[in-house]
Amino acid sequence: MDYLVLSITLLAIGIYGLLTKHNLLKVLISVELIAAAASMNFVLLAPLPNEALGEAFLILAFSADTCLTAVVLALLVMISRKYGTCDIRKLAELENTGAADLGEDSFGELSEGSS
Amino acid sequence: MILEMLAIGLVASAFLAVYLEEAVYSVASLGCTFTLISILYFLRDAAFVAVFQISVGVGMLAVLFLSGDMLSEKPSEKKPLWKTLLAALATVTLSLPPIFFFTATPPTAVFPDVLFAQALWNLRSIDIVLQGLVMLTVSLGIAIVLHEKRESVG
Repeated sequence: MDYLVLSITLLAIGIYGLLTKHNLLKVLISVELIAAAASMNFVLLAPLPNEALGEAFLILAFSADTCLTAVVLALLVMISRKYGTCDIRKLAELENTGAADLGEDSFGELSEGSS
Repeated sequence: MILEMLAIGLVASAFLAVYLEEAVYSVASLGCTFTLISILYFLRDAAFVAVFQISVGVGMLAVLFLSGDMLSEKPSEKKPLWKTLLAALATVTLSLPPIFFFTATPPTAVFPDVLFAQALWNLRSIDIVLQGLVMLTVSLGIAIVLHEKRESVG
């Protein structure tokens, strides 16, 4: 099996999700897929099955990827708490209408409604 | 044959992770993708990487499950049948290239006698930079939490 085709297919799925989905969590999942597709080449395209250099690089890539996920998740939680939504379109509307300052209130209403 | 099955499962679960509306199902599909990738690594004799993939993936998925359940809005309307069928067709179509474009790459020895520990030692400078990045992320997170606490108190 040609691993490059598999990697490109995963990359294409990730880019599709990045372009079409409006939920920030879905965007993060798409970015994860793109990162997995890119980093799997270190091992799968290594010249020998037991090639150690690719494995070492991949482990380093994991740590960078985990940092990225942590930062993006923190931003996501903050945005959700401030504006009460994770939808990119709604966030853009909030920014355009200048109603971003109302975010705290709307989150308060949401939390009251859920409890 | 097992590699082709893995490729089909990998592409299908990745597509479902992007396609499904409910965030929790989507994260479950992503977990399936990570598991299949780690099996692929095991089959390539990269046991260390497979274990790392599983451990990092499990931690990330736990957080994603929590945040997905917390932050996502439930879809109000059901998807029409033709959209589901179209997604199934897209999954099948995307699974075809990894199966049929078979080109076996001949192995060429570039660094044949480098051990895993030696490779990690040779890359230690990059490792130190990345560990610094991890520490920076942790300190950034703690600073944000403390800042929010101070704002809520004041």
